[in-house]
Amino acid sequence: MSEHGHEHDPGGGHDDHVGIAKYIYVFIALCILTTMSFFTYSSYWPFHEQPNIGRSFMMAVSCTKALLVILFFMHVKYEANWKYVLTIPAAFMSLFLLLALVPDIGMRGHWLSEERRLHMAEPRSKAPKPVLHHGGSHEQQDAEGPAAGDKAR
Amino acid sequence: MMAEPPTHARAHSAAEHAGHDHGGAAVALEYHPGLPIPNGKLIVWLFLSTEIMFFAGLIGTYIVLRFGASTWPVPHEVHLSEPIGAFNTFVLICSSVTVVLSLEAAKAGKTASAKGWLLATLVLGGVFLGVKAYEYNAKFSHGIYPWRPHSRIYEKADLNYAAAVRTRLESLKSQLDGEATAIKERLAKTPPAIEKDPAAVELFEKQELVDNLVIYEKDVEIKAATDPNAAGARAALDEMASLIMFHNEIETQATDPDAARARAALAKLVDHGGDSNGAQHEGLNDEHEWLKLPVVIPGGNMWASTYFLLTGFHALHVLLGLIVFVIMIPMTLGVMAAGLVENIGLYWHFVDLVWIFLFPLLYLF
Repeated sequence: MSEHGHEHDPGGGHDDHVGIAKYIYVFIALCILTTMSFFTYSSYWPFHEQPNIGRSFMMAVSCTKALLVILFFMHVKYEANWKYVLTIPAAFMSLFLLLALVPDIGMRGHWLSEERRLHMAEPRSKAPKPVLHHGGSHEQQDAEGPAAGDKAR
Repeated sequence: MMAEPPTHARAHSAAEHAGHDHGGAAVALEYHPGLPIPNGKLIVWLFLSTEIMFFAGLIGTYIVLRFGASTWPVPHEVHLSEPIGAFNTFVLICSSVTVVLSLEAAKAGKTASAKGWLLATLVLGGVFLGVKAYEYNAKFSHGIYPWRPHSRIYEKADLNYAAAVRTRLESLKSQLDGEATAIKERLAKTPPAIEKDPAAVELFEKQELVDNLVIYEKDVEIKAATDPNAAGARAALDEMASLIMFHNEIETQATDPDAARARAALAKLVDHGGDSNGAQHEGLNDEHEWLKLPVVIPGGNMWASTYFLLTGFHALHVLLGLIVFVIMIPMTLGVMAAGLVENIGLYWHFVDLVWIFLFPLLYLF
């Protein structure tokens, strides 16, 4: 605890005008926004074929929710300028952390060894790759599909 | 009348002139904090700024790993339930409101009300952790762990996978044989006939299922071992993986008559006339949980590592908050304790904030 005896608002803190009604409005807004995120999961969401639209939408909704919590529940809206000193450098550090991971981790699929590629997971939809043993071309066997390739063998 | 100088100016001026203040009255220096907030609140905010970097590192790693991966499991493959995740989001949002209402009550000197809202926050946090425990249990019961030997996840249906299925079947077979011997010994002493004993009937059904699986797996493994790269062999391995944990319909690849018969018997167990989306289909592992056969979930190991790391650290933060609530509830939460309620409230909102990002990233992406 501080030397002030009681810690609350010696200056620059939030004001009492943050009424309970405001918290209720923020709560309702957060519930609506959560429902909007969840809407992307439902069959009524029209962009299931383009997942990036849904992802962008959800991130926008999440950022809005986060802002509401930070500004009103954490009272940052009513704090003095010190809030920038503590939050902006941390936000930048977070961004740099993320960016630093991209070349080695995020783009790891760009420079895989053949051995690593052989053992890595494949998407389920990927058809089994036929391997040539008895003449013919890859294209021909690909066109025939896995069952046909097996019969030929 | 001149305006009174600010406090810090007074202190500064006093310190500056203290050296040549001969014989004057002693000046009382006044402490003033560097930032216009209490020390406790400053420390909480400094802690939260490190927490921002901590979770940003974890979430950033998840995003980079997920989008750099060749494949990633869909939520249903790893037994994630979106409605449960949405429910937990709602619970945390409610708890954020209750903790802020507790602060308002404490500031207004309404001790009982502040205590009540804090208790409500504690209950909601407990509900969140309870739901999380239920979710973890669903993963564990399906062999989804972030580490071996508990994890039964295989990245692709290959010869290694077939060998793992065989090992599990051998272990099941010897376990069931042991149980069968015990039942036979028991029934020899106290008849009824073996076919009327419910435990014996259940055991025989299990043995029949395992025998069919052994015949079928052997056929698949021989095919895969003969030429692991052959399209037919790979399709047979995929088919076996799909029979154990359903993902899509695959035409039967069994050519050996015994294996074809065994495969037909196994397929009958999991075929409930599901629709084309596979909504009603389940695999053998779902139908018979005691089987605990290895499963193929492409990208499942990385998914499990990131999921348990992110949700585990978040759950630990929730737990820490709940411990602080338990300590605070017996205290008198009046005006004097408002700062304390505000500080724990800031931490709790941050925990809510992290979940706001985790929910769409883990359940809906």
